[in-house]
Amino acid sequence: MEPQLSWYLALSAVLFTIGVAGVIIKRNVIAMFMCIELMLNAVNLTFVSFASFFQDVTGQLFVFIVMTVAAAEAAVGLGIIIAIFRTRESLDVDDASILKL
Amino acid sequence: MLALLFILFAGLAIGCALAVVAQRNPLYSAISLIGVFISLACLYVMLAAPFIAAVQVIVYAGAIMVLVVFVILLLNVEHDDTRRTRIGFLLPAALVLAAVLIAEVAFILVSVDRGSFPASSASSIGSTASIGSQLFTSYLLPFEITSILLLMAIVGAMTLARRTKELSPNARVIPGAQLLASNIVDSSKPLDDTTAIETDTVEEAARLLGINSPRDASKRD
Repeated sequence: MEPQLSWYLALSAVLFTIGVAGVIIKRNVIAMFMCIELMLNAVNLTFVSFASFFQDVTGQLFVFIVMTVAAAEAAVGLGIIIAIFRTRESLDVDDASILKL
Repeated sequence: MLALLFILFAGLAIGCALAVVAQRNPLYSAISLIGVFISLACLYVMLAAPFIAAVQVIVYAGAIMVLVVFVILLLNVEHDDTRRTRIGFLLPAALVLAAVLIAEVAFILVSVDRGSFPASSASSIGSTASIGSQLFTSYLLPFEITSILLLMAIVGAMTLARRTKELSPNARVIPGAQLLASNIVDSSKPLDDTTAIETDTVEEAARLLGINSPRDASKRD
């Protein structure tokens, strides 16, 4: 039995929901950041499976662009995390509830 | 055969994703997340997208996760300290999320049943050549916008992570010795007097500057 499109979509939904639950549950900024990366990857899996299903390269192109955006997000996000840690000495998001460095 | 491979890699991905959320130590979460990326790359190979699979391993598991692990080690926060009880309202949220998850998976599995992939999986859809030719012709504008975004990210990361307001711009620091401009040490000197004063240790420089020694700051924890 060959894998069906719905299998990949179901896997993507499961991964995305785990990522959402992680963002809600976790309190460490870096752990929340990694859960966001997990959600991005779930969406990427959907893109690639639809690209393979419709035999169209556009989906894979946008996966490429999503990866670039994720890399930019990693650089800026980790810079923000370091700046917050310098002033607050903590990675807990509850300690950074004031929108001020 | 392919179904077995799918079940193997999907199970690995879900297990590692659960471990990302379940681990207290962010370093273990990062290692689990690398497992998710690797298994997703294997799934991309099964979906006839070898270029995306390679980029997934190189960019995600290589670059981004190395950056994350580096920041975790740099900040050196191991203790996910005592959990204050926010579980009270998180438990209903978790139940709702689980219900949504089960509902959407059931919906997908029931309604999208005609999902057989096209048989011609040996086509050149996922090859590097087709992706490159499309990327530089039809999708040139998103490509250029992405490059501008990367430039903004570089500048933003440098601006955010730079340490500011520490020393006077006249301070001279070279390896092996601490050379300080004399108007830092003695504020009665005029501002453009940059005669160097040499100190041998960080402590001595900190004492001259009247700031807390970094050794003392590291001794605190």
